[in-house]
Amino acid sequence: MKIVLDLAQVLLIVLCAPLVRGIIARGKALLQRRQGASIWRPYAELIKLFRKEELVPPTSSAIFRAAPAVLFGATVCAAAFIPVLHASALMASRGDFFLLVYLLALARFFLSLGALDGGSAFGGMGASREALVSSLAEAPFLLGLAAVAILAHRAELAGIVAWTLEQNVFDISAVHMLALTSLAMVTLAETGRMPVDNPTTHLELTMIHEGMVLEYSGPSLALVEWSAGIKLHLMLALLVALFFPWGMASPNSSWGMAAALLLYFAKLAVLMALVSVIESAMAKLRMYLVPDFLGVASAVSALAVIFTVLVKR
Amino acid sequence: MGLVGIASGKVLSSFSVFLFLTILLLAVARRISTSVLLFSLQSAVITAEVLATAIQEKLAEAWVVGLLVFVIKVVAIPRAFFVLTGRLKTVRDVKASTTPTQSVFIVALMIYLSYAGVHSYGQAVHVPDDALAAAVALILTGAFLMVSRTKAIMQMLGLLVLENGIFLAALITTFGMPLVIEIGIFFDILMGLLLMGIFTFRISDTFDHLDVSKLRRLRG
Amino acid sequence: MSAGATGAAFVFLLSVLGLLVPVILMAVRASSARKLAVALILAALFAGCAVAVKGFLGQAVPVLDFSRATPFSFSLAVDPLSAFFLLLVSTVAIPVTLFGGSYFELHQPEPRRRWTWIFYSWFLLSMIVVVTAGTGFAFLAGWELMTLVSAALILVEGDSEERRHNVFIYLLMMHAGAAAVAAAFFLFLPFSHSLNLSAMRTAGAALPGGIRAAIFLSAFVGFGTKAGLIPLHLWLPRAHPLAPSPVSALMSGIMLKTAVYGFVRFTFDFLAGGPSWFGYAVLLAGAVSGLLGVLYAIAEHDLKRLLAYHSVENIGIIYLGLGTSLLFLSNHAPLWASLALIAALLHTFNHALFKSLLFLGAGAISGAAHTIDLEELGGLQRRMPITGTTFLIACCSIVGLPLFNGFISEWLTFRSFLGGSVLTNTKAQIVLPLMIGVLALIGGLAAACFVKVFGVAFLGRPRSAEAERAVEAPVPMRAGTTLLAAACVLIGILPGILLHPLVSLGQALIPGSGVPEETLIIARVIPWTAAIILGVVVIAVLPKRTQRMVATWGCGLSQLTSRMQYTSTAFSKPIRFVFTRVYRQDRKVERLPTDQPYFPVTISYRSVRTTSFEKSLYRPFVESVVWLAQGLRRMQTGNIQAYLLYIFLALVSLLALLRFQQ
Repeated sequence: MKIVLDLAQVLLIVLCAPLVRGIIARGKALLQRRQGASIWRPYAELIKLFRKEELVPPTSSAIFRAAPAVLFGATVCAAAFIPVLHASALMASRGDFFLLVYLLALARFFLSLGALDGGSAFGGMGASREALVSSLAEAPFLLGLAAVAILAHRAELAGIVAWTLEQNVFDISAVHMLALTSLAMVTLAETGRMPVDNPTTHLELTMIHEGMVLEYSGPSLALVEWSAGIKLHLMLALLVALFFPWGMASPNSSWGMAAALLLYFAKLAVLMALVSVIESAMAKLRMYLVPDFLGVASAVSALAVIFTVLVKR
Repeated sequence: MGLVGIASGKVLSSFSVFLFLTILLLAVARRISTSVLLFSLQSAVITAEVLATAIQEKLAEAWVVGLLVFVIKVVAIPRAFFVLTGRLKTVRDVKASTTPTQSVFIVALMIYLSYAGVHSYGQAVHVPDDALAAAVALILTGAFLMVSRTKAIMQMLGLLVLENGIFLAALITTFGMPLVIEIGIFFDILMGLLLMGIFTFRISDTFDHLDVSKLRRLRG
Repeated sequence: MSAGATGAAFVFLLSVLGLLVPVILMAVRASSARKLAVALILAALFAGCAVAVKGFLGQAVPVLDFSRATPFSFSLAVDPLSAFFLLLVSTVAIPVTLFGGSYFELHQPEPRRRWTWIFYSWFLLSMIVVVTAGTGFAFLAGWELMTLVSAALILVEGDSEERRHNVFIYLLMMHAGAAAVAAAFFLFLPFSHSLNLSAMRTAGAALPGGIRAAIFLSAFVGFGTKAGLIPLHLWLPRAHPLAPSPVSALMSGIMLKTAVYGFVRFTFDFLAGGPSWFGYAVLLAGAVSGLLGVLYAIAEHDLKRLLAYHSVENIGIIYLGLGTSLLFLSNHAPLWASLALIAALLHTFNHALFKSLLFLGAGAISGAAHTIDLEELGGLQRRMPITGTTFLIACCSIVGLPLFNGFISEWLTFRSFLGGSVLTNTKAQIVLPLMIGVLALIGGLAAACFVKVFGVAFLGRPRSAEAERAVEAPVPMRAGTTLLAAACVLIGILPGILLHPLVSLGQALIPGSGVPEETLIIARVIPWTAAIILGVVVIAVLPKRTQRMVATWGCGLSQLTSRMQYTSTAFSKPIRFVFTRVYRQDRKVERLPTDQPYFPVTISYRSVRTTSFEKSLYRPFVESVVWLAQGLRRMQTGNIQAYLLYIFLALVSLLALLRFQQ
């Protein structure tokens, strides 16, 4: 029973990912006083792309063709780490957050290689900028997660979520606040959202993630876009699971599960609304100001780690 | 007691977190309006702490103090700032002399130092560690803002944050201040702000900018 | 295998490398002699592996005692720590030798080739002597031989002023380090009365604090020079690129590890830890080396210099693990200390594997495209698929991506940092988890660097005619790289193979520790992760797709050339810009004068990067030494009266000393 539920969690994250993108896009449109596309449009786009013919540059090698599949595999494996409905997931009780972060790094490594294999200037530009952003974002990501793990005395995600569930909602912990701030900033950076990167831009000189996927088409492009959506969904789900997990139920009661599902969607909706507001309210940072942004995230997460010692005293 | 009582009991210990957050965001804020907004949020948190003290200690005059703090620091002073910046027509940028990354590391260091400094004192006087450390951190941050921001308005703001810290420290160590002293401090600050406002206007009129670092040119 | 057979294998190993191969090569000049020599070296290395496995599993290996033939006591013994490093030397040297057999045939003319092989086998012999030394004299003899033979290997490769200058710097720094190592050994003498390693171990338990600190510092500096810790790393980027690729692989992959062996032997075996400042010093050195190493590497576009700087970075990571272990030891947490030590030793082994693979790949590239400048390469993956795939595996391993061996050791290091939060000492509680951020930054920058390396060298379009004409490397070279790549993937997916024996090694070195459960956790998780990823990849690739080869969109330009791609310098520009304080650059833009100043015909741009240490640390030091020497020179007046005066003064002061001693 637990295994079925864990598999269902993975499928939930993977299959609802395009919906998350659609809802955020619709939220941005409403804030900008536009009609906006339907929230189900990303599904239509994926289906269309899977049916299309794929164009491959003749100078590219096998890496170009293999990269989207590896990217998709690593991202889906990372999605298996996040507890959504109950305090456990397929890999959450065995794998810890270091493995989660490095799986995302594996995905990003192959995406950058695929971008460089396209042989055009835009792929190189996107990969070079992505290299800057991701190399600086790893430290606050790991430090923020480490701060939470130190408080919970456990490194496995299932253990951390279980510990958080036992805490009182109203005891606002300084460590968690600081970790949440830095992880929110890292989420924006890692998933390529404003103010770090504009996911809807069509100007190649302003692209970071989009620049890397310019050469892909057909099923490969579908896999890359889907992986980006899964990454966004799993980062949001991670924030929910680590900081607001109350409402997760035990696998025994089906009513509890239904309630947990509804509560999860409610929390996710709040986060998605926040993302839409931030994306509409902030302008994209100039590229060389992004290290400042990530430097602030690093300082806040380092402070979170220091606070774990100060709080215990 | 009820829910209100429990909530007020938790406020003093938990809300210092929000003060730390406003401190960190003040260190990286790039616009004057953002800094003023953060200052008013800070004052709102301090108002909540004053009201919590009022409920816990059952002091009538604390209610008056809380109301005063809210009206003056959360509403009136920020409004005055916004009006001032609107009429001065200066550039909205904060003109910090340190990059955001450096500022936030310095502020983080100051937060750590305030915890380290308060630890031994707090244990002796039976006072919650977090709130007192937040107060000391506010004082240090106010001083840091005055030193590192080169716009005259930001130095006024730094003084106000400093005063917030002193007020909070007094509130925690004495659990409610006599109203008279409160009013005295408030009027001091108000006088200082009025004078600074007038001078800022005059400086901007004469020199067309508010950059304090250019004062060096006035040397004989 | 009985103990006698093991002893025989050991003797076989030493005699082949020391005597048999050089004799054969000197006597017979035919190419069949060389093939026989390579085969003998391989056989000897297999014997070495067998001996190492026996020693590693804890079974006794007979001690080889040559003391009767040498002026000081000279013996070779294989205890678990030595066995681990002997295994490292033997297993990594086998694919490198296989590669070298073909590489030297193709790229070196005759008289040099013979001498290269002779020095090569002596190089292996010296490294084996160092890790299996049972007495101080044997260790120092092997240490010195390593330096001299590797310098000889570099000099055999060619002759030029620059080469001789760099080898001079190499020898100078190595000898300074060797002096420090010798000092560390001799400081033990008053307490242990002999230089046998076992005597030193028993003496180490009862040393006074001052001597302990002195031994630690001399061992730290001496072995740090050989390992390439910053700021003692200056010889690394000068020496590694000049050697032929198989030799660079041995130097970077194995020679640096002998320094780690020496340091572990001294601090963990002899001194058994120490006060907490030992741990902090090592942590600091590791963090600085890791960060600066990777930052300097990102700025390079000469492939071998880049890889040399990455060796500095990985040595930094190893020292981070060692420093953590020392810190845990001083805080009386033997289980965590064992975990950190296992992480550091595993990273040592992993680094030997993937660094050698990277250098062999560089050798294959230089053979095919006749250059190792990244700006001249490109599109090699289509032309050299096996070399490219193995190089990719090495890149993924060095970055520390899951499913490859680098991840396992970095994961264990991360977990040991996290474990710092359970200590009671506040300083350690804060510093160790913050090291997670440092290692994460190092890993992120390394990933950026290797995307650049692999992407610019192997992917996209060729940037020069030579790269376009590149062909795949010959079979022995491919076999060597494939073996190393297979080892990387094997340890990456089934880490228990190495972790299980390493745990018992940890228990031997750190008494009182048990089995850290993290080693069991990772051995269980990784195969599952691999299964999931492979499963999803297969599902994603399975459906049939139609593909058409069409040129990339060039914004309307009809033909994209290779010059429109990103170069290595361009790729690393954002990172170099952010970390601009680390690179003190010296830029000169000159407009050559022409008749019309507004239409310049030629503009020259020159950018020189000196690593900050040469300017700020070494130059003042060198200048003060020279100043001191010039001051002393004034004593040499050439005047006989002055010399008689010196003798007279010496006599008077001796008499005064005698008087006051009574």
